[in-house]
Formats: sequence, structure tokens, C-alpha cells
Amino acid sequence: MNALACAWRSLVRQPARTSLGIIGVAAVGALLFDMLLLSEGLVISTRTMLDSMDFDIRVTSTDQMPGRGPDIADGPAAAAQVSTLASVSSVITLRREDARIDLGDSRPAFGSVLGIGGGSGRPWTIIRGTDVTGDRQIVINEFAAQVIGAEPGAVVVVRANCQDGATAPPALDFRVTGIATFTFDVLGESGSGMTDTSLADACGTPGAIPADFLMVRSTGDAAGAAADIDALSFALLASTNDEAIGQMQQRGFTYFQQISTVLTTITVSFALLLITVLLTVSVNQRLGEVAALRALGFSQGRVVLDVLWESVLIVGIGGVLSLPLGLLMAVWLDGILKRMPRIPADLHFFVFQPEAIWIHGALLAVTALAAAIYPMLIVARLPIATTLRNEVVG
Amino acid sequence: MRPPECRYNASVARLHTHQRRVLVTGRVVAFTLIGILSTSALPAQEPQLPSILVARQLAALEGIAIGDEVELASGEPGGSARRFRVIGSYEPTPDPMQLGVASRGVRMHLTDLLALTRDAGTPAGTEHVEGINVALRNPENAQEFANDVNARIVGVYALLTEQASGSGSTFVVLERFHMAIATVTIVAATVFLLALTVMLVEERRATVGVLRLIGFPAKRILVQVLIEGVLLASAGALFGLALALASENLINRFFQWRYDTALIFVHVTPTVAMTCVAIAVPLGAVATVAASWALLRSGGLRLARR
Repeated sequence: MNALACAWRSLVRQPARTSLGIIGVAAVGALLFDMLLLSEGLVISTRTMLDSMDFDIRVTSTDQMPGRGPDIADGPAAAAQVSTLASVSSVITLRREDARIDLGDSRPAFGSVLGIGGGSGRPWTIIRGTDVTGDRQIVINEFAAQVIGAEPGAVVVVRANCQDGATAPPALDFRVTGIATFTFDVLGESGSGMTDTSLADACGTPGAIPADFLMVRSTGDAAGAAADIDALSFALLASTNDEAIGQMQQRGFTYFQQISTVLTTITVSFALLLITVLLTVSVNQRLGEVAALRALGFSQGRVVLDVLWESVLIVGIGGVLSLPLGLLMAVWLDGILKRMPRIPADLHFFVFQPEAIWIHGALLAVTALAAAIYPMLIVARLPIATTLRNEVVG
Repeated sequence: MRPPECRYNASVARLHTHQRRVLVTGRVVAFTLIGILSTSALPAQEPQLPSILVARQLAALEGIAIGDEVELASGEPGGSARRFRVIGSYEPTPDPMQLGVASRGVRMHLTDLLALTRDAGTPAGTEHVEGINVALRNPENAQEFANDVNARIVGVYALLTEQASGSGSTFVVLERFHMAIATVTIVAATVFLLALTVMLVEERRATVGVLRLIGFPAKRILVQVLIEGVLLASAGALFGLALALASENLINRFFQWRYDTALIFVHVTPTVAMTCVAIAVPLGAVATVAASWALLRSGGLRLARR
């Protein structure tokens, strides 16, 4: 019988403790797997969302994140200035405000409204109807459409609530041209889009068209285009998608990386402790048996290998079970975190990536080896004659 | 990644909000400006310059010292810049939402802020403010006061400070997330505990058998096991609490250094301590009894058999 089969029989002989060991490793491994998904999940998810918008540069007035800092005072002028650059393919201005949308006596829809100006490309995708082509037209998301009961062709009343708008903005009629999904749609929140001039009208400040930021598509070299924009005006600060992700990692989202690191360390330590204790106690209870095997001619290496295989089997089976368990837990935990206010529906905190499985496997393999060291030492140093004598006397 | 720059188009933090509100408690004048035009090296001293306080992080970032003159503007460079004298620095109120972002705030008198940000066409005294914090002589009347303000003043929304964050706020969600993680950890710990107690009980199989043979009833041994479990779990819970208390300061210092903030990240409150003990002790006791249950149902002879 080889070492693996022998280790398997040792484990099967004690089903309760083996099952508990495997379940413990599965629970801890699932948490470990989730922490690996969490560590880069938000960054990967955000990058996917940014890339999906087909713009590779954002231009703001300060180094604050878009929407956090002051507006670009004259959005169309800034966009026109940027679009003159040879390295720039397309520019749109984006302004986000809050709005209430009513249709007759139905329940109003509260949420955000985007005012877009400039070239081609929109941060939304039409799923029914058509895009806005002029003033007093609006596209709304599915949630808003359901809340107010509107479909393309309906005329809705929009009351915008703008940062630098009039104290009492007007209630204006808009025709719904289409139903759209917005890249940064928030679950359970109304979203809508219109032209920048329409939004300025809705804000009660028709002459003023500020922009939260500009979205720029380069001709290919995003970093070069960003440098050109920076050189264009001191009042404009361009950042590529990579830089935006870097800012995000540096600022607001390090929390999840920190918690991931801390919990990864804790879970690995926990698994290490669990397996070490299980194997040590198990070996201590079988010292006589091990000594007898040695007396029968089993080599030191062979009995040590038995212990190592026991560790590998417990961690291996527990580790395999932890993957589906971890995926289920990730869905559950992601659902909890996505209840945070203003989190886009397409943004995920836990994102699966193949590397996570390899890292997970490597960490568990190291854990299995490390956990087996102490019990292996006990077995290796076991004095055969003394142990057998003690067993008999005992 | 380019290093952050000091932009000349500094602007005022939001003065005109969607929902003006009265926060009951707090103080009245506390506004923040973002950005700074230039520091020191400004022309000749002017008497009676309005004074400002500069956030500690901004002072460090831009090399601003007490006594320096700075220019602040709410728009493009050369627009409505005004000079101020820095009379001190302050530690910004810790804000978890600004974690990792160096505060670029300054504090000034409201009249100076309004003068700085007022449009040419806006008559003095008609500006908007974001909110007014009110400290009541009788805080127990806060709700009544808020109701009264809401009824009397159109366009103003008063709410209690504790209501301002809202139940769906980020931190309520984070708390749920932490609770979920804690639940998984507790499940794993319970399995660990069960495995340990199963082995512990197995080791004492012969002892329990002898006790049964000399006449100890199973119930008596079970009580003994239960007491042992409670004692062990209590000791473990106390050790865990001691470890948490000992590491609390260490963790806070690390993260305060890491994020350059005065935020407190870990705080072991009496409620947290009580919750831990309330979970750990019964769990330990139940695990011990559960592990011993099968053993105690076996006969004494069978247990004592070698």
C-alpha cells in the first residue's frame, strides 16, 4: 500500500474529525477565495466599465475625480478647444444633475439626468425607440420608464435640481424618444439623458452650460493625447483610463484591498492552525501505531510521507469544495455591498479572474505543507523502542 | 501617473444644494474651499487681511506656514482672487468618505467666503448656503424644532443630525458586509472548535469509560463537560478580547499613518465586547457538549475497552 492510500485509510478511519477538518478548510478556503476576488474586483470591474464607454480620456478642471471637483465653467468651449488637437478623435461634454420626472398623475421618478454635448458617442445604449437628436427630447432608463409608465413618444415633465442652477428651476415638458441603459445606471434609481442645452434649460440657466468633465476619444495614443490636452490649458487636466484607475486605487477604493489583505492573512493563518492541530492530535493519538509500523520495517520517510499526504488530502478536498462555496458567497457578499448608495448596477466588488484560482491553490498548498511540518517532525523523531514500551506499559 | 498639481481654478465647495437643510447641533460657520492660488512671495504686506485656517495636509502639501499670505479664487485665474492671511492650521474632521484623499480645505469666516464667491450680479445678502447647523439650548426639543422650521420656512428642510446620514448610507452597508464576513468566520471557527473538541473527547474516551463504570451517571459527566466547555470558551473569549484591545491601538496607528487621517478604524466598544462574549461562550459550550454527546451514549465497558 502506498503512502497516499495509507493516508486515505487513516482519514477514513476517523470520519468525524476528517469531515470537520475538510468542512473547516472549505469554509476558510471559501473566504480566502472571496478575498482574492475582492482584492482586484472593483478595479477590474471599473476598468471594464470605462473601457466599454469607448472613450479613453477624461478631462476635469482639477485633479479631483470626475463629479467631485468643480465644474468646467464653459463645457462647449472647452470641448471645442480640445477637439482641435490632432491627437483627439472625438469629445463630448458630460454634466450630471438630479431630476424628478413626472408623467401625468403617476408616481414620479427621482434620479440623475445627464446633459451631453459635442461629438459622437453617448454614455447610454438605446434599447427601444431612438436617441435624442435635439432639444426637449429625453431618453430614460428602464426603471424610470416602469415607475412613471412611459414609453417612447410620451411627454414627461422634468424638474431638474442643479448645482449652479436657478433657485426655482422650471418644470419643462420633454418628449421621451427612447429607453436606454446607462453605463453607470444605479439599481432602483431613475436615469435619463438629454442634450447639454436642454439640461441648461431645465436648470433654469439657459445661457450657462458647464460640464462635470469631458470624455475624449484619442486617435490611438491616449497618453499622448492627454499630454496634449494638459499642455492646451492650465484649466484642464486630462487623465487616461489607466490613470483614472490608478487614482481610484490610490484614493477611495484601497479600503477593499486592505480588508482583503487582512482577511487573506487571517484565513490562511486560521487554516494553518486548524490543520496543524488536527494532524498533531491525530499523530499523537497514533504514536504507538506509527512506532509499530517503523518496527515492522516502514522507513522514516514513508511514515512522514503518510502525515504529509493526510494534510494534502484534507486541504485538497477542502480546497476543491471551497471554490463553488466561495463563488456562492461572493454573489451573496457582492449583493450586500451593491446596496451602497450610488453604486452602478454593472459594477461588481467580487470579480472572477483565473489567476485567483492559481493563487488560491498555491496558498492552500503552502498551508498544507506548513501545517504538516510539526506533526511530520513528531513522527520523524519518534523513538521506536521507547514508544512501543510506553504503549505496552500504558 | 502624473503627480497632483495645485490648480489655479480653485473653486468653492458646493454652496447651492439640492436640498437645503438645518442640522440640529454643531456650529454655524464651517465651510471649505478647494484649491489655492499661490503661497508666500506675494507683494507687500497689507494690513487687516482676512484670516483663514489651512488644513494640515494642505499646509504640508504646499509648504504653507502660519503668517503666510495666500490668494484664493472661486473661478479662473486672475478672476476674483482675494488675499488672505494664514493664521493657523487645523486637523480636518475625519471623514471616511474622503479616505486616502489629502484634504485641501481652508476655513474662513462666512462673510469672507460669500464675498469671495458672490457673482457680480448677486446682491450681497442673497447668496445661498449649503446648510445651517443649529445647537439647541434644549436638545431634547430637536424634533419639535425641526418640525417647526419645516412648517414655517418654505424651501428649507430641517432634520436631526442622526437622520442626516440615512439608513441606506455607505456605512450601514459596510457594517452589513462586516457582519457577513464575521458570520462566515464564526462558522469556520465553530467547525474548528468542533474538530478540537471531538479530538479532546476522543482522548478522554477511556477516562469517561472508567467514570461510567464506577457509577458516574452520564448526566453528571455531561455537566462536567459543559462546565469545562464554558470555562474554556470564557478563557478563549477573554484572550480574544485582550488581543483585540492590545492590537486596537496598533491597527489605528498603522491606518492613520497609511491614510494620513485622524479617523479611528478599530474601536472595541463595550457592546462589541459583550457581543463577542455572548457568541463565543455559548458556542464553545455547545460545541463541547455536541462533541461529547455520542461518547456519553456509549456504554462504560465499551468506552473503557482498550
